[in-house]
Amino acid sequence: MSSHATATLDHHNDPTTSTGIPNKKLLMWAFLASDCMFFGTLISTHMIYRLHPPPGNPDPRAVFDIPLTSFSTFILLMSSLMMALAVNAIQKGNVRSMRFSLLTTIFFGLIFLGCQVYEFSHFVHDKGLTISNSILGSTFYTLTGTHGLHVLIGVIWLTAMYFYSFTGRVTEKQAIDVESMGLYWHFVDIVWIVIFTVVYLLEYL
Amino acid sequence: MDATVKSSFIAEQPKAPAKPLVLWRPSAKTGLISWLTTVDHKRIGIMYGLFAIFFFLVGGIEALLIRLQLAVPNNDILTAHQYNTLFTMHGTTMIFLAVMPLGSAFFNFIMPLQIGARDVAFPRLNAFSLWTFVAGAIIVNIGWFLPEGAPDGGWFGYAPLTSKTFIPRHSIDFWVMGLQLLGVASIAAALNFIVTIINMRAPGLTMMRLPVFTWMTLITSFLIVLSFPAITIALVELMMDRQFGTNFFEVSNGGMPILWQHLFWIFGHPEVYILILPAMGIVSEILPTFARKPLFGYPIVVFSGACIGFLGFAVWSHHMFTTGMGTVATAAFSLATMAIAVPTGVKIFNWIGTIWGGHLKMRTPMMFALGFIWMFMIGGFSGVMHSAAPADAQQQDSYFVIAHFHYVLIGGSIFALLAAIHFWFPLMFGRKVSEFWGKLSFWAIFVGFNVTFFPMHFLGLNGMPRRTFTYDGNMGWNSANLIATVGAFILGVGIALYFAVVIYTFFKGEKTGRDPWDGRTLEWSIDTPPREYNFAVIPTVHARDAFWYEKHHQAEIAKEKAEHAQAEDAHGGIHMPFQSVWPLVASVGALIGGIAACYHNLAWSLVGLVILLAGIFLWALEGADGYHIHLDKDGNILDEDAHAKH
Amino acid sequence: MRLFSLLPSLSRWVRGAFAFGALALLTGCDYKFWRMDGPQSTIVVDGPVARSQLGVFYTTVAVTFVIFVLVSAVLAYATLKFKARDEADENAEPPEQSHGNPLIELGLIGVSVLALVIIAVPTLRGIWYTHDIPVEDKENAYVVEATGLQWWFRFTYPNEQIEGAGPLVTANELVIPAGRPVRINLRTTDVIHSFWVPKLAGKVDMIPNRGNFLWLQADEPGYFWGQCAEYCGDSHAVMRFRVIALGPREFNEWLEQQSSPARSVQAVADANDAPQAQFASWKTEWKRNEKGYTEEFDLAPLDSWRAKQFPEKNEDPALIAKGREVFRNKNCITCHQVRGHEGAGLTAPDLTHVGSRTTIAGGLLENNAEQLARWLTHPNEVKPGNKMWTGIGAMNGYASVDKYGTVTARHIELNSDDVVALVAYLQSLK
Repeated sequence: MSSHATATLDHHNDPTTSTGIPNKKLLMWAFLASDCMFFGTLISTHMIYRLHPPPGNPDPRAVFDIPLTSFSTFILLMSSLMMALAVNAIQKGNVRSMRFSLLTTIFFGLIFLGCQVYEFSHFVHDKGLTISNSILGSTFYTLTGTHGLHVLIGVIWLTAMYFYSFTGRVTEKQAIDVESMGLYWHFVDIVWIVIFTVVYLLEYL
Repeated sequence: MDATVKSSFIAEQPKAPAKPLVLWRPSAKTGLISWLTTVDHKRIGIMYGLFAIFFFLVGGIEALLIRLQLAVPNNDILTAHQYNTLFTMHGTTMIFLAVMPLGSAFFNFIMPLQIGARDVAFPRLNAFSLWTFVAGAIIVNIGWFLPEGAPDGGWFGYAPLTSKTFIPRHSIDFWVMGLQLLGVASIAAALNFIVTIINMRAPGLTMMRLPVFTWMTLITSFLIVLSFPAITIALVELMMDRQFGTNFFEVSNGGMPILWQHLFWIFGHPEVYILILPAMGIVSEILPTFARKPLFGYPIVVFSGACIGFLGFAVWSHHMFTTGMGTVATAAFSLATMAIAVPTGVKIFNWIGTIWGGHLKMRTPMMFALGFIWMFMIGGFSGVMHSAAPADAQQQDSYFVIAHFHYVLIGGSIFALLAAIHFWFPLMFGRKVSEFWGKLSFWAIFVGFNVTFFPMHFLGLNGMPRRTFTYDGNMGWNSANLIATVGAFILGVGIALYFAVVIYTFFKGEKTGRDPWDGRTLEWSIDTPPREYNFAVIPTVHARDAFWYEKHHQAEIAKEKAEHAQAEDAHGGIHMPFQSVWPLVASVGALIGGIAACYHNLAWSLVGLVILLAGIFLWALEGADGYHIHLDKDGNILDEDAHAKH
Repeated sequence: MRLFSLLPSLSRWVRGAFAFGALALLTGCDYKFWRMDGPQSTIVVDGPVARSQLGVFYTTVAVTFVIFVLVSAVLAYATLKFKARDEADENAEPPEQSHGNPLIELGLIGVSVLALVIIAVPTLRGIWYTHDIPVEDKENAYVVEATGLQWWFRFTYPNEQIEGAGPLVTANELVIPAGRPVRINLRTTDVIHSFWVPKLAGKVDMIPNRGNFLWLQADEPGYFWGQCAEYCGDSHAVMRFRVIALGPREFNEWLEQQSSPARSVQAVADANDAPQAQFASWKTEWKRNEKGYTEEFDLAPLDSWRAKQFPEKNEDPALIAKGREVFRNKNCITCHQVRGHEGAGLTAPDLTHVGSRTTIAGGLLENNAEQLARWLTHPNEVKPGNKMWTGIGAMNGYASVDKYGTVTARHIELNSDDVVALVAYLQSLK
């Protein structure tokens, strides 16, 4: 069996499963399909109320700060890049490089969250948009807040993985754990691009 | 898939095995701790079954109280509020706490055995699903014991009746939070089943050789994964409205209650198929077994199941024909709904085709399965009547609808699940229910059921609306209501008899050996009750109805098994997962946090959240380790190799 | 309307089938029930919309019944024919392991699709026909607005404007012209309700922030039962109403009478002839949900309604005047309107002509002295959670009730003299 132990691991084919896809990866994909429906429902709610605004609903254009949100979108995109590098590194067994990429991803994730915290408090205090004073506030904060919660969970997960890697238990064989986390992170990123487009940019068409 | 390669991968060792980070690893094989920390899909299945049967009986008692109140006009046994609470909880209990988990019980117990697996893909996630389901069930029912009372907004919880303005009591919060947790449990379980069925099939078991029950499990799981998010978000929105003053359904600020209905039924209609598809799978197993011939038109049965699942997402608005959707939308949903009748009809034709030309053994499960076809057919036909929107305008929210969906849910789902209990009981516990008492309970249930629900068609057509705690004696509804109540008690006696017989059988029933029914699928190829490792040797599948093939090619199979056993033993033996306490801890956290959130109590919510997160964290940290066992010739465990392996 | 001409024969046939099925199930029980002609029957109907819906229903019944008979016959035959005779037969060689026949399958799928087309065609026609008044009849249509409230209906006549008081408003009894299409705009001020008069038309929901409507037409003058059909809280079951269809002349008379302000009873010369309070003879102990109508009323409801349009004999002006005072002092006027009298509230049913209605308490109780007294003294038993009992917001009702339903204080106490006077006053409001 030594031939197996020394051979390079094939990260795209797991011979223990019927399909060759690792279980964890399949689980994550199935979960993301479900998560698509979560966000789909939230985005639909926002879009439906956008089409049927009650009288007195604030004009989103008077509230949004596109340059700031563009910046945080860009940051989130960059974090996806670093996440991809982290997965690549661990698949090659390079734990130090993975650690660096993870740290950067966490950092970018935190910047995104910081922007969102700033954005929320700015909207509430300066623009007078609260979660309860209008439909726009309700749908906007619930949707972007749910996304923010996803980012936060991702950051916690990344941080846990970062510290866990110092125990020496994250090796090339555990690359699938990092890869599943990466899938989640990319998904959260893609969802944000959709939200940025249909919630923010659409208002300026 | 080559079995040799498979086991070699499992046996592979890291160069320097790291010491696992484990706080507490329970290892008891019997006793309470062993059940609370089990990751064995069979034990989890049995617990799902027990909880489901408990809630099924609770829901049944709720139904009997409802029928008691309606036995005669102007009755005053119950107050309006008690009655409304009862019908809300009857619906919620039967759907989420009885039929779904009873289906889940069989998914858990039977499905891995049918695909020749030793467990599900994520055993600890499976335990988490079970305990989160229990947490959700507790929260939904907790109101019975508190001054708030149990939920009373209907199982459909239409906004704005469920808003804080109209029901300020926390009863609705219990309903929201309980359903939320039940959703989490269902989605987690469904994800697990999807991965298990796709990835853990025995060698040679291609998708088109899967037993139909496993197919229906897969389709049901996809329905759960894709439909539950809609209700989860709807519940989040309702919860935000109630707790944080948002405006999703707040009419005065422009909220549109119709949105709740759309979100609810986008979940709610697939939910109907979540309830019935497992039943169809069960019947598709039982009929071939007792007709002693393969399922007629297997590919078409599978395809029509998938078709029903797919179309199930396109017909939700037929629950809303009376909401003024306009002509075009009404027509579209009307036609789409009719279209579902085709794949459903196809299944009925195929079941009849299955028994045609067979040698029918009239055992109790077969009686229930045949009863299922009849009753489900009647429910299906009244369903077609609803699909015609103009006719539905008169039937919607009348007793006609009640008759319809009880024919589908009792005559359909429950009959099939009762059949399944009898059918798989010998496999689960190694004992068989007496034919006489089994058949007697079948006839009591069959007669009671029809006497209860057939008159309700007429009540509905005679204009009796649903969810009414009283009615006047001059409406022409008296005799039908009385008959229905009498029938309900006959049905109640039948159900009581059924479970009394099952309990008796568990302790004193006739013992059976392996394969008592001359089964066709892999679950019958193992010992009864199954050993914790399921299969001494992972089978190789050569045909649909894999066990039937094995029985008719014994020499070939014996040789193959011997080779595989040797190979597996050489690679360290049979791999078993360790028990774990953390899924339970995480679920307890969800329970505490959930109850606290109902009361808007931040401190305790955080406590619950911290326990939940800590549970998940330690669960991840302890890792998916296990141990190896070696067997002697009779399948007894020789020794356990307790070293942790990855 | 060719479809409808088929109905009588079809109807008789299907009803026969129903009756047979029912009798087969249970012989010897109340045969009247199986005639399916209750006051809320969807089978014996009195208007074109309900008839169209019934036609579609019969089509579905006919098609599914034929399929049901065929499939059950095959299933029954297969079950009996292929049943193993004995133990030996059970353990005999298994039958041929056949896997199916694609041609049969495709054929059956084709037949099912065909059967559905037979249902689909009348369904589509029915959807368009029942949705809105046919174009050629639109001009002739009469418009009413119906508003659902917990737990009663308000009916507004936008075309009947009363000077200084807005449109004509009434409650719980909708009077419409017979033989004319009526468009009913459906509104709600609280939760979702559903407007259902089975003999005239299927239901359409009243949903907040949504402008629904339905149309219906009564063939002949008549008296019809209706009921809320969407669960709307505690007293959903007792949220009922009536529809009264009248010929053109009678309808116009009714409009005229309703548009006038509330009636004030003048002192009659021979006041001593007036009956004294019959409070003692009234039933005062009521069980929850006890029936609130008399059989005589039920026999000819339209005639009962007509009789209600005229003042009672032997009215007692003094008592009525006292009742009017009680009505004012006991706070009724904050919620109820009595146009021309003190009542000025808009949140509760308009009582300007309450005496001319056949029912009270949202179509639940017959409008007679005894039931009126019951309603005034036991509001929460008659209609649990109603706002006469709980009040609205800061405005006190009879009692203060916390969210668990516990009564903590009583606000409005009526003694038996008050009740007698109030009953007399309300009954005088013709």
